[in-house]
Amino acid sequence: MILAGLSVAQLVGILGAASALVTVLYLLKLRRRTVAVPFSKLWEKVLRDKQASSLLSRLKRILSLLLQLALITLLGFAIGDPRAAATLSKGRHLVVLVDASASMQATDVGPSRLLAAKDEVKKIIRGLGGADRMLVAQMDAAVTPLGPMSSDTSELDRAVDAIKATDARADFPRALRFAMDTLRGLGALDSLAKPEIVVVSDGRLGDAVDASGSVHIDNDVTFTYLPVGTSARNVGITEFSVRRYPLDKSRYEVMLEVTNTGPEEQDVELSLYGDATLVDLTKLRLKPGEKLPRFYPNLSGARRSLEAKIQPLEGTRDDLPADNHAYALLPSLRRAKVLVVTPGNTYLEAALLLDEYLDVTLISPKDYADNAGPAVGSSDVVIFDGATPLSPPRANAIYIDPRGPGSPVQSGGELKTPGFDKIDRKHPIVRWTALGDVNIARGHKLVPEPGDKVVGASEQGPILIVGQRSGFKFVAMGFDVRDSDLPLRVAWPLLLLNSINYFTDEDAQYISGYLTGEVWRVPVSPGAGQAVLKSPDGVELAIPVHEGRAVYLGQHAGFYELTAMDSRGRNHDTGQPVVFAANLLDAEESAIEPAKELVVGGRKAGTLAGFSIGMRREVWIYLLLAALVVTAIEWATYHRRITV
Amino acid sequence: MLDAVRGALGKRPSAPKSTSKGDLFDDEFQRKLATLALVSKRVFAGRMRAERRTKKSGSGVEFADHRDYQSGDDFRTLDWNIYQRFDRLLVRLYEEEEDLAIYFVIDTSRSMGFAAGRKLKYAKRVCAALSYVGLANLDRVSLVSTTDRVMDRMPTTRGKARIFRVFRFLEQLEAEGRTNLEDAMKAFVAQNKRRGLIVLASDLYDPHGFQRGINVLRYNKYDPFVIHVTDAEDAKPKVLGDVIVYDCETGDEREVTVTASVLDRFARAYRDYLAEIEHYCSSKQVPYIQADVSVPFDELVLRVFRRGGFLR
Repeated sequence: MILAGLSVAQLVGILGAASALVTVLYLLKLRRRTVAVPFSKLWEKVLRDKQASSLLSRLKRILSLLLQLALITLLGFAIGDPRAAATLSKGRHLVVLVDASASMQATDVGPSRLLAAKDEVKKIIRGLGGADRMLVAQMDAAVTPLGPMSSDTSELDRAVDAIKATDARADFPRALRFAMDTLRGLGALDSLAKPEIVVVSDGRLGDAVDASGSVHIDNDVTFTYLPVGTSARNVGITEFSVRRYPLDKSRYEVMLEVTNTGPEEQDVELSLYGDATLVDLTKLRLKPGEKLPRFYPNLSGARRSLEAKIQPLEGTRDDLPADNHAYALLPSLRRAKVLVVTPGNTYLEAALLLDEYLDVTLISPKDYADNAGPAVGSSDVVIFDGATPLSPPRANAIYIDPRGPGSPVQSGGELKTPGFDKIDRKHPIVRWTALGDVNIARGHKLVPEPGDKVVGASEQGPILIVGQRSGFKFVAMGFDVRDSDLPLRVAWPLLLLNSINYFTDEDAQYISGYLTGEVWRVPVSPGAGQAVLKSPDGVELAIPVHEGRAVYLGQHAGFYELTAMDSRGRNHDTGQPVVFAANLLDAEESAIEPAKELVVGGRKAGTLAGFSIGMRREVWIYLLLAALVVTAIEWATYHRRITV
Repeated sequence: MLDAVRGALGKRPSAPKSTSKGDLFDDEFQRKLATLALVSKRVFAGRMRAERRTKKSGSGVEFADHRDYQSGDDFRTLDWNIYQRFDRLLVRLYEEEEDLAIYFVIDTSRSMGFAAGRKLKYAKRVCAALSYVGLANLDRVSLVSTTDRVMDRMPTTRGKARIFRVFRFLEQLEAEGRTNLEDAMKAFVAQNKRRGLIVLASDLYDPHGFQRGINVLRYNKYDPFVIHVTDAEDAKPKVLGDVIVYDCETGDEREVTVTASVLDRFARAYRDYLAEIEHYCSSKQVPYIQADVSVPFDELVLRVFRRGGFLR
């Protein structure tokens, strides 16, 4: 036992002085009041009776003195703040990382794993010592400390209550690095006071490795793991994508994947909804660990939203409902305005006719030079077919065989029979195209500027470049299509339509929306200063806009609405807000089997110890309570005239 | 207040004194005296004045007793019949008829002045009332105040016109001094040779024993009539805690821690004391009346009449 409040010498001095004072006060007789009586002889018998019990009276007075001395001793020791030597006066420092990832929504224990984890953390709080300090952090796609390092149990309880489940995967490495940074410098030589990282989780955290490498936990930090969860039964949607057909945007196809991550065979019912209307209903039987892809081609009817849901059939059980619902939005069918500056090109006009959602305007180069300004302003895309303007338009543009000073890229030397020898096949404008055997009679070498991307190039030099000038995208093709057999190929209209879609962000690839747990960069109209995001639960929050995109770390699945605002906070978009979907779609997160142990950098997490509920380590509290009890006894004995 | 508290340490409060002058015998009191006198007349209806007899042997006609002849005795009083039968010379004694002497002895010690002098005031009124009755019956009335000695006395008088003299005497009495009934009664007996009825009005707070004073009267052939003046407040002192009680007469001090149980024991001791007095008087055939100050004095006087011994 050690004294944290006073030294032994101070405590002995205080106790000695106080005890001496009380004893002296007991020895000193109080000045009695004098009372006249008419006949004192009557008191003699009474006094004789009192004298008979004088021994008892003395004992009572001694009892009263002992009570007072006990009271002083208790208070003195309470001031001294005695503690068990094993607990040390400095106390422990803990960072408790509470897993709030999607798998913690599993209902195999209690109401949910997260609530069970909260209960475990509250037990730790109840077992904290007076000098112990603790920080509670929520571990999901980010790591969020929910309060300062504190020993205030009510404050810590509030922090635990603030933990909310997410539909995202936990960023375990980041959480560990945060905990390490928090505990840095708080270590002590005594092993009992080692700072401690406590991970309360189901253990489905993946490897503690990030871009900086593997996380290493220092040896002077205690690393413990408090597992939560028992079951592994779960069937979830792990893929969900939709795309419009490039050449028939009124139709679309859906691809999804259902995975049984549990150890038992599961029967589920898969429902597909289009605009909240049931499109398809299928019963599936999945073997343990089976991934079952489903493909729904040539669908129509839905204009905007698609949802997939799975429901466990009777007799089966699904412990994680978070991955039973997936969301997707079809690309909007906006009619893009295309201004074609051409002296006349049948192949070009014919290719543009293939997309019924294009509003094409043809104009001659002369008319464009004379009065094309207003027309360009409302166009989404301007196609310059062999005619290069003196100044670039304030719109996205496709340049076919550009030349002259107005070209976004300089034209180099003439190329004879160039070909697409090198193709960046990942670029969206060349998707689904076969350009490798295109024959070209002649062309010009294009000179890209820094930031431009060469999508196609011959041995002699680039012939297909994409880039951006003054905030507008462009595609430059270094040859006249009529000097090639490209217009005779399917690749020609695809290249054109891909380029237009590239400009208008209407990708014809599979769209699965945003994934929870990632940083979303949602395009907003140029000039927007900030944006207001309305989450699936109806909560609106302002988010920043960076380089034309609203940036947000989303952690919940569902449909979101984004409204761009100008710098004054007014609605910047005149049209409808941008709607997009977000999904979990994470097979690893759907695998909810709790890990029995947790290993980080080869170091196995220990088990939690030293936090017994119901016994705070501040002895002074109990001393104070004892003093109150003694006071109550003294009060009772006084009023019962026992010690009088 | 019963528990007159000292104002400062070592400074004892002055002894309580009667301050009953002026309003003690007001018109209302005197009207009640007249009523009491009429009541006493009714009790005496058909009797002669001064027919009450003393035990004094003398020249009366009713035989009282014999005694041995002594030289100098009148031969005419010898009982010759006894001489013939027993050969002894005995003298006949006769009860002498004379008017009764009534002495009112008022205890004026400090204890009688306790609690604003309620007991002394009450004793004065009772004695005044009984004096009036006695004067009205043509008895010889005398008043004496005592402590541990005879303090003051009003000479014997008769006739109810003298009642105002009684009033003046009583009004000037004040409570002071210590009680010693034995010494006081001895002095009284020495000063008053004429036997008679002695009405003793006292609280009987005599540290030497109340019996001694009464016994002096009994042994000297007086007829004592005890009016024990009591105050219920004496049995219930309003005091709690650690105190020093001191006797207002003797100054004796005692440390007491007064609790509820102590007060209970004190009340019991007080009752025992009263019972002891009553038992003593009844055993000695001494007429005894307990006069609580809360009882109206005229009611007490009537109780005295009913008790007998005062009016014969």
